[in-house]
Amino acid sequence: MEHATGFVLPNSGHNRDAEASKMGMWLFLFTELLLFGGLFIVYMVYRLMNHDAFLLSSFELNVAMGTINTVVLLVSSMTIAMSITAIQKGNSILSIKLLATTLILSLVFMIIKYFEWSAKIHHGFFPGMEYYSNLPKGEALFFFLYFFMTGLHALHIIIGAVLIAVVIYRTKKGQVHSENYTLTENAGLYWHLVDLIWIYLFPLFYLIH
Amino acid sequence: MIIVMENHKNHHNEDQHETHHIASYKEHFSTLAALLLLTVVTVVVSVFGANLATLSVATALLIATIKVIVVAYYFMHLKYEKKIYSWLILLVVVLFVAFTVLTAIEYLNR
Repeated sequence: MEHATGFVLPNSGHNRDAEASKMGMWLFLFTELLLFGGLFIVYMVYRLMNHDAFLLSSFELNVAMGTINTVVLLVSSMTIAMSITAIQKGNSILSIKLLATTLILSLVFMIIKYFEWSAKIHHGFFPGMEYYSNLPKGEALFFFLYFFMTGLHALHIIIGAVLIAVVIYRTKKGQVHSENYTLTENAGLYWHLVDLIWIYLFPLFYLIH
Repeated sequence: MIIVMENHKNHHNEDQHETHHIASYKEHFSTLAALLLLTVVTVVVSVFGANLATLSVATALLIATIKVIVVAYYFMHLKYEKKIYSWLILLVVVLFVAFTVLTAIEYLNR
């Protein structure tokens, strides 16, 4: 637009609202919380109905791997929180490095998850497999919920990782900087939500015995 | 009056972030240390308190809730955000707890 040609909106170039973007992100996170919340209620009811089977089944899960993944997610939550501090201070390079660290940690999480799932699937615990079909009802329910809830969570990890990759790209291009870092903040919020859900999934599936 | 004008100017300056508090790296690191400590506690309670089944579940959930509050307060910047965010979160938590309690009551009275 050539400003000589006519009317220019008084706020032109300012049609960005960091506060509203953040509020929008939070509202979206609430829907995510209720999505997982519903699943946690399903878990609660089935667990009340199949108390012993759930305790027994949880022994099948690898506490060491679950603990490592918890630590991986907590560290990645710190690195993404620090990347926001870095971008606020105008240090784009450090911000990118911290985001890249978060991205690598998300990969580590997925690799460990892959080994965990492979071991379970190898033993036939995946819904639909022969071994699974012959499990007592309570145990089958436990593994169904295990795959469903950790699977949905893993899907969120993948989405979060893609989002972080976008933030890295846009920070590199200079579109995200110390005056405009809403994208970094929102990616951070999403990543923390993924961490929060894991904080509950971990004890409920791995540590109940 | 001057203060009001300053605020007014800031508002139009697009420097909406400048007034925001920047959390320090050190604060984030301390937060992580606290979260890791809580993780160790919850694993230890579960693995070595195996004979206290119900108690250890309650403990694990309590510790998880503390961890979640720590993440939200420090990592998600609730400490520095407007109060409206905390109120909205409280609303969602109350809703979820209500759903959970109602479901539990229904189940237990069957």
